[in-house]
Amino acid sequence: MSGEEEENAAELKIGDEFLKAKCLMNCEVSLILEHKYEQLQQMSEDATNQMSQVFEKSLQYVKRFSRYKNPDAVRQVREILSRYQLAEFELCVLGNLCPETVEEAITMVPSLKSKDRSLNDDAIDKMLNDLSLIKKFE
Amino acid sequence: MFFHIVLERNMQLHPRYFGRNLRDNLVSKLMKDVEGTCSGKHGFVVAITGIENVGKGLIRDGTGFVTFPVKYQCVVFRPFKGEILEAVVTMVNKMGFFAEAGPVQIFVSNHLIPDDMEFQSGDMPNYTTSDGSVKIQKDSEVRLKIIGTRVDATEIFCIGTIKDDFLGVINDPTTT
Repeated sequence: MSGEEEENAAELKIGDEFLKAKCLMNCEVSLILEHKYEQLQQMSEDATNQMSQVFEKSLQYVKRFSRYKNPDAVRQVREILSRYQLAEFELCVLGNLCPETVEEAITMVPSLKSKDRSLNDDAIDKMLNDLSLIKKFE
Repeated sequence: MFFHIVLERNMQLHPRYFGRNLRDNLVSKLMKDVEGTCSGKHGFVVAITGIENVGKGLIRDGTGFVTFPVKYQCVVFRPFKGEILEAVVTMVNKMGFFAEAGPVQIFVSNHLIPDDMEFQSGDMPNYTTSDGSVKIQKDSEVRLKIIGTRVDATEIFCIGTIKDDFLGVINDPTTT
């Protein structure tokens, strides 16, 4: 279990498999799960009985913590964040938590400042600004 | 964090399910088998979103069961050490509080709650700052950092902290 001991999301050590995998923001998960829930409801009347507890809890959670409700806004958020050469995991943490200041963003995602990243404070500031604009005009 | 990943599983199917609907049967059995399960490696399987490919079946000696390797896409929830996320408080006691982020339970010990927050007992136990401006109780929304995970056969359990910059209550149910 040595691999697990070294796991640390702050340094982006989340294992190769997850690092390469597609991360999902809460708002994206919300769209997927609601779609699936509707499908289940159409197939049978007692859809609520068929859902696993994990599904139910996840759906409640992402509904509560989705920053963006509108599918177009969700797409825009991903598009804007993907301009900054972020790792999938970093992109989703920012999209989920929507930090307001550069300092907050770096505390939430310390790996932003690690290595020889070309990302300076101004770039981060612009990124956060763009995000808050989407929220405003949603 | 939620991920969209591709997993593989060997599905055993009884011969009575063979025929035109073999694939449908295989998929519905897969959903029944894996949705809602949890493994230490991949976390909680929340929902299957698609089937990537169904391999060639192999007849088991002696039983007539056929094993199909199935590759499927699914949404999983996997918490990581060091990850910061938002959660809903579910229970408060003098040891600390429990919060839930989707399927995962997170415990925040009172050592990892800021020192200026005191436990208040009563019918709505809570942690409150001395000036009463910040309160953590059932249904509060908090932002916390996961500092440890424990993996069980069927569950992942996390330890979290709110004793750090930009962590703590984000929404108090009594004020909204």
